[in-house]
Amino acid sequence: MRYLLVDQITEFKEGESIRGIKNVAMTEDFLEFHFPRNPVMPGVMVLEALVQIGGWLEAASSDFRNWMVIRKVTRCNYYGFAFPGDQLELEVQRTGEALYRGTALVKGKRKVKAEFEGEIIPLEEIEDVEEQRRFFRLLMRDIGL
Amino acid sequence: MRFLYYDRVTGIEKGKAIVGVKAFPLSEEFFRGHFSRKALVPGVIFIEAMAQLLGWLIIYSHDFRLSAIMSLIQDVELPPALEPGFTAEIRGEIITTTKRDSLGKAEVYIEGEKIASMERIIYSHFHRIEPEELKRRFEYYSGMRA
Repeated sequence: MRYLLVDQITEFKEGESIRGIKNVAMTEDFLEFHFPRNPVMPGVMVLEALVQIGGWLEAASSDFRNWMVIRKVTRCNYYGFAFPGDQLELEVQRTGEALYRGTALVKGKRKVKAEFEGEIIPLEEIEDVEEQRRFFRLLMRDIGL
Repeated sequence: MRFLYYDRVTGIEKGKAIVGVKAFPLSEEFFRGHFSRKALVPGVIFIEAMAQLLGWLIIYSHDFRLSAIMSLIQDVELPPALEPGFTAEIRGEIITTTKRDSLGKAEVYIEGEKIASMERIIYSHFHRIEPEELKRRFEYYSGMRA
């Protein structure tokens, strides 16, 4: 499994907000044990998808100098499951310095709502910056085709 | 990858508390992508570890007649940049539990030092389950007798 929980970025507003997509496939590794014979995307993986897209928001808003990792969850509500075959619509807004509000929906219906706090870390310490830029363009479908 | 975030249950007290351990080796799948130049444990993994252990405590406390699904978490503190190579101890406790739902809290320690905590976690209970299957899984996962 590659720990990448964002498949596409559909909207990016510098320093403000970001929207994207995570497709839940039956082939996901986590579905085997979550739960046996009842596959649903684990709630923390939905939260992780929101955190990762928040990381992309910080990276693309800082000319790829920054990344964000989670350090606090103020509140996270789970209203319903994301099943294999569902497409999760991810939305994250920056509400302050390293503060975020995120929502994950399926067909417009809210499944998860989260308020969390991040820690901003230098991107160059954790990833190859040029590779991340290229990957962001790929997620934005800006591939020159 | 098996989506299990504890290795063993080391203590359990019906209706009250559970203690378990989880090692964090560099071979964990989540390090593929988190990140390529530096391995950092994703903070949400600690939430999952706390939630899984407390979930088992709830199931065990109700004699395997129900299952529990997380519906809310609140005031969770997480370590943002932990590198692999440690074993964590996870301690969870039930605050209240009924047939319908449960409220609990949990903490994570490394060598006696608290590194993560969750003040509130609420579970909704599910009753359409197979008790014998749940019991068998508990014994396999926890290393204990049900």
